Amino acid sequence: MKISIKQYAQALYEMTLNKSEVESGAIVENFVKELAKNNQLKLMPKIVEKFEQIYNENNGIVVAKVTSASSLDKNHLDRIEKYLADKYRAKKVILNNEIKPEIKGGVVLRVGDDLIDASITNQLRNLKASLEV
Amino acid sequence: MKNHIVEQLKKQIENFESQAKTEKVGKVLEIGDGVARISGLSDAMASEMLEFSDGTVAVALNLEEDQVGAMILGDYKGIKEGDEVKSTGKILSIPVTEKMIGRVINPLGKAIDGKEEIKADKFYPIEKVAPGVIERKSVHQPVQTGIKAIDAMIPVGRGQRELIIGDRQTGKTAIAIDTIINQKGQDMICIYVAIGQKESKISRIVAELEKNGAMDHTIVIVAGASDPAAFSFISPYSGAAIGEYFMDQGKDVLVVYDDLSKHAWAYRQISLILKRPPGREAYPGDIFYLHSRLLERSAKLDEKFGGGSITALPIIETQAGDVSAYIPTNVISITDGQIYLEADLFYKGLRPALNVGLSVSRVGSSAQIKAMKKVAGKLRLDLAQFRELEAFAQFGSDLDEKTRAQIERGKRTVEILKQNQYAPMLVENQVSIIYALINGFMDDVAVEKISEWEEGFHKFMKSSKKDVLDKIATQKELTEEIVKDLEKAIKEYKESI
Repeated sequence: MKISIKQYAQALYEMTLNKSEVESGAIVENFVKELAKNNQLKLMPKIVEKFEQIYNENNGIVVAKVTSASSLDKNHLDRIEKYLADKYRAKKVILNNEIKPEIKGGVVLRVGDDLIDASITNQLRNLKASLEV
Repeated sequence: MKNHIVEQLKKQIENFESQAKTEKVGKVLEIGDGVARISGLSDAMASEMLEFSDGTVAVALNLEEDQVGAMILGDYKGIKEGDEVKSTGKILSIPVTEKMIGRVINPLGKAIDGKEEIKADKFYPIEKVAPGVIERKSVHQPVQTGIKAIDAMIPVGRGQRELIIGDRQTGKTAIAIDTIINQKGQDMICIYVAIGQKESKISRIVAELEKNGAMDHTIVIVAGASDPAAFSFISPYSGAAIGEYFMDQGKDVLVVYDDLSKHAWAYRQISLILKRPPGREAYPGDIFYLHSRLLERSAKLDEKFGGGSITALPIIETQAGDVSAYIPTNVISITDGQIYLEADLFYKGLRPALNVGLSVSRVGSSAQIKAMKKVAGKLRLDLAQFRELEAFAQFGSDLDEKTRAQIERGKRTVEILKQNQYAPMLVENQVSIIYALINGFMDDVAVEKISEWEEGFHKFMKSSKKDVLDKIATQKELTEEIVKDLEKAIKEYKESI
């Protein structure tokens, strides 16, 4: 029976929930041994990624990436953090700031599957489309 | 003047409200063979339009737990793994407009004939539920194909689906093209959908349509053999969507799907790449639904809903005359009749190579004008009886008078029903020649001279007896007066040769 990455990650999460660091270490060791037995060690990176996702989901942590033309000051970053915390009802927001001069201005927010494109390039594109009608 | 434009532009820009809304994005996991597997896009809907970062459009076909299988509509070479994909929230639709008439377009509505771009204001969905029972009316107006054998014995009506089926090179496309050419002045908009055809064949067809003045009422949709399978898959539905745009305006439309066999192949290719389980002949399980939902969109609408119609002429290519193969049987059971073309008849010189016995129109004479009904009523039966007796004729044995007469009449009927390509005949001319035939006016003409006689007859009627033809065309009935005039005309012609 083929076990999916999601199922592995889910199982690992449930097993290590509320366990101490020492106990978790033993569980992880057994987990890796089980993976090796099933010849599924190559799935490790994806399982770690999925585990992180499940952990964040269950603990109200939101990981977001904000792209801007030039680096944002603390004031802006705080405001974006608060906005995201409200929107996703998150307890904690991890915000990464990526610098991309091509967007000319504004911000592009990326949280998981969601994208909010408030960049100048996108606005100009929308303006062009509305004028063409 | 320039100032005014600038002012208007300034106002438009000022009134522009920029909005940043939350969009759902996904990432390309895998791409190849015209299909992309995308992660994310958690709220993608079935058949939703997705957009890649370079503007290419895709349709979400497989919705799995944590990925979406999408069919790419266009060139997928510019897309790579890891690219971002946005969902548009729209079902796949194409632009529709009157300006498409006379143009050659691709299944997404873009002009490909090198002339100016087509700008449309309306968008019609490619997939649509067919009109229900209440919206429809029974088929009662004819579609004049211009081909004597079909208009007389296997008549097609507006709103009917008539399948043209036969082996390769038996004249299937020729019948469709002749029908389109004959729709000049018949108040009909024609749409020719070329599915997976050779580009050389398509350019020949377009040239022929232009030469005969048919492009003035025709739209050609091309999904060529070198275009992605996705284009071949949606092209018939695009044709139906454009047809529905005109039908909703109360107009009559003729759509030719050439051919649905290649359409089934394209869908099979996409389904196999999407890892949908293969069934009989490796076709996916819903191959019947693929064609049934397409052909159901042809209908004759009730006056309350505009009274428009879409007539469908799907074409299916059989292998070695096998009409009991999977796809042919599927489509035969969907359509309201079939025109069956046989290779043997073609090579014997009978063109169009119609097998009258196996061909049928389930709408029948309600799709004929009264004049044609009167003259062609017994034609089919007589021809069938002739075929039975034909074997005896070969023996040359002693036959009684009645049998011999039947055979002679049958031979002349067969001669009359032969017709050249690109020479569709108006219904009044058809009625006049068939009248001459069944009332014995040609019994004294040698069989080899029949086609010559016919050609001369039509020329004669067009030049000196045009009023009789016009009367038949307008009154659509063979009144006593017209019959008298017609008989007089035939006798005059016979005397003149």
